[in-house]
Amino acid sequence: MAMLALQNVSYRYEGSTKTIFNDVNLQFEAGKIYTIVGKSGAGKSTLLYLLSGLDVATGGRIEYEGENLAAINRNHFRAQKAGIIFQSLNLLTNATALDNIILSMNISGVTGVDKKVRALELLQKVGISPEKASRKVLKLSGGEQQRVGIARALAHDPVLILADEPTGNLDKENEARVLKIFATLAHDEGKCVIIVTHAKKVTAVADEIWSLEKGVFRQLPVGK
Amino acid sequence: MYLITNALKNLWRNAGRNILIAAIMLAIITSTVVTLTINNAAAKIIDDIRLNLGSRVEIGQDFMEMRAAGLDGRTDSVHLSIDDFYAFATSDYLRKTIFSASMYGWSNTFCALRDDPSNPGARERGDGQGGIVLDETCKLISTSDPTTLSEFGTLRHITSGRMFAELNECIISEELAALNGIALGDVITLQGAIVTDKHYSLTVIGIYADFTDEYSNFMFMFNRPVSENRRNEILTSFATLISAGWETSYGLHIRNEYYLKNPDHVRFYEQEVRSKGLPITYNVAINQAAYDKVTGPLSGMKGAAFTFMVVILLLGTIVLALISFMAVRERKYEVGVLRAMGLARSKVAFGILAETVMIAALCLVLGLGIGSAVAQPIADNMLEERVAVAEAEDAASGLGNRVLFAQGQMQTNDKAAGYTPESEIQVRLGGEVITQIMLITLALTALAGVIGVTLITQYEPLKILRERN
Repeated sequence: MAMLALQNVSYRYEGSTKTIFNDVNLQFEAGKIYTIVGKSGAGKSTLLYLLSGLDVATGGRIEYEGENLAAINRNHFRAQKAGIIFQSLNLLTNATALDNIILSMNISGVTGVDKKVRALELLQKVGISPEKASRKVLKLSGGEQQRVGIARALAHDPVLILADEPTGNLDKENEARVLKIFATLAHDEGKCVIIVTHAKKVTAVADEIWSLEKGVFRQLPVGK
Repeated sequence: MYLITNALKNLWRNAGRNILIAAIMLAIITSTVVTLTINNAAAKIIDDIRLNLGSRVEIGQDFMEMRAAGLDGRTDSVHLSIDDFYAFATSDYLRKTIFSASMYGWSNTFCALRDDPSNPGARERGDGQGGIVLDETCKLISTSDPTTLSEFGTLRHITSGRMFAELNECIISEELAALNGIALGDVITLQGAIVTDKHYSLTVIGIYADFTDEYSNFMFMFNRPVSENRRNEILTSFATLISAGWETSYGLHIRNEYYLKNPDHVRFYEQEVRSKGLPITYNVAINQAAYDKVTGPLSGMKGAAFTFMVVILLLGTIVLALISFMAVRERKYEVGVLRAMGLARSKVAFGILAETVMIAALCLVLGLGIGSAVAQPIADNMLEERVAVAEAEDAASGLGNRVLFAQGQMQTNDKAAGYTPESEIQVRLGGEVITQIMLITLALTALAGVIGVTLITQYEPLKILRERN
């Protein structure tokens, strides 16, 4: 069974008559990396918001493990099941990198681990040193902030990772590091990773590639 | 727990904004502590005064009514019987009664100060109606409660013997004792000067040093009658004074004090004593002028403190509301991020409320400390100014020079003469004030919190993040 399933999903912005997409049917399974590509403004980020429960479809339904996402507690869904990496990062800028991650774990109700140790491990994994972990986010570079955002999304060990341009600010080395993490999460740990991207390097690690153009999703062959 | 921890960290993360909120809250709380402690302390003193001076009813002759009655030939200006006064004292409205009376005395066995030592008690004079009265040489002063002799402990103190307690005991001044060679245990005899059939044999049980003015009553400063010399006063109990068989108050100057259980019941009490036969030539009244004079500066200070507190609370609340509104709007993005991470709306609100409570708690502690430290000097300063104003007004009005003459007697119409404005206030931070301040702080916190929570509940995380992006 698919982890996430879109059934005849339509969406248009509140107060607008323009439909972003119409009657979309997609399925996302555990253990795979999906990339969504398309022009800016095509609605890729909107799709991620719908999948994360931050927004609700105006038509059709999105199911998470067979349950209508619109009907379940979406706060709980975001806190427990989904890890979201925002294009605009959305970090608490006046808190330290470490505090951002520990707070995320607290919100998700993570127990049984030393949260600080886990947070430092995650940051280390994305290339942030313990010294930088104690700095306020505002004092980190764009790339470092993006990696903090990635670490935060993984802090509560979610089964679903939704990433919006996760490598947009990263250099090659860190891009490769992050993509390797995604690959491990999907292929070794059985998580579902959905990435919205423009970057070809990212699509290269995908198990499925979907393009969104004029409200229509088309599957592209992998490797192109 | 993490919400509290995060709120605590947020206090430092948003130090600038929180310092501004804390400064306003501290100013409000400190000002309120000062004004409230002053207000409450003043109210307590006023209440105490009200329970004593304000509940003290005097039944006294109304000289204007008596003159009118005399001119009209009415007979209701009679002297009351002693039993009448006892009847007036028997009332459910009263908590206690202090009987006091004085009479002019005459003695041919001892000399009064300023008297002719070689010929004591020899003088007689006409009463103006063809009769003869004895020249007053002393004044027999009595009370049913010696503790109400307020000068004892200040201007008078017993140097030998003790205060009178039993029937036919009296105390006299050192000067009177020295002039006549009277020692403790000696018996002095005297009789009424106006009502000459009243005879007394009093044992001197105490002798006191007297630092009062000999003629403290300004009306006698110039002719200085012997009987009005305060060194010639003989102090005894009320029971002793009336033991000579008084039927009416004629020849007695009775000045009983009836203390009401409730100061507001003076009119009910008057109705009762009127029904017991008190004629209209007698007044039943509290000494409002004295009460006003004593409490005036305190009342003024209390009013000013209360007004200031209301203004501070109103202005402070408005400013705090505006700043809270702006602070939460400024934190809109933070709210959006937390909500996007899955933190429930109620928990976000709780976090912001927790921050407000922490700031308020800190301000409460500081405010109580600072407020209690500065309240006393502020109160002293305020009261000092108001007492000075009251005294200046009193001096300017010249009330003390107005005198009434009725039935051959003199009386000042300044009922507040002899009373001074209350000029001391002890401002203490009591449990009552702390409770009130806590309630006010709670209200301020609730206000700031409600604004925050109301705004937060209107924010949708995606909308916030999209706006930000």
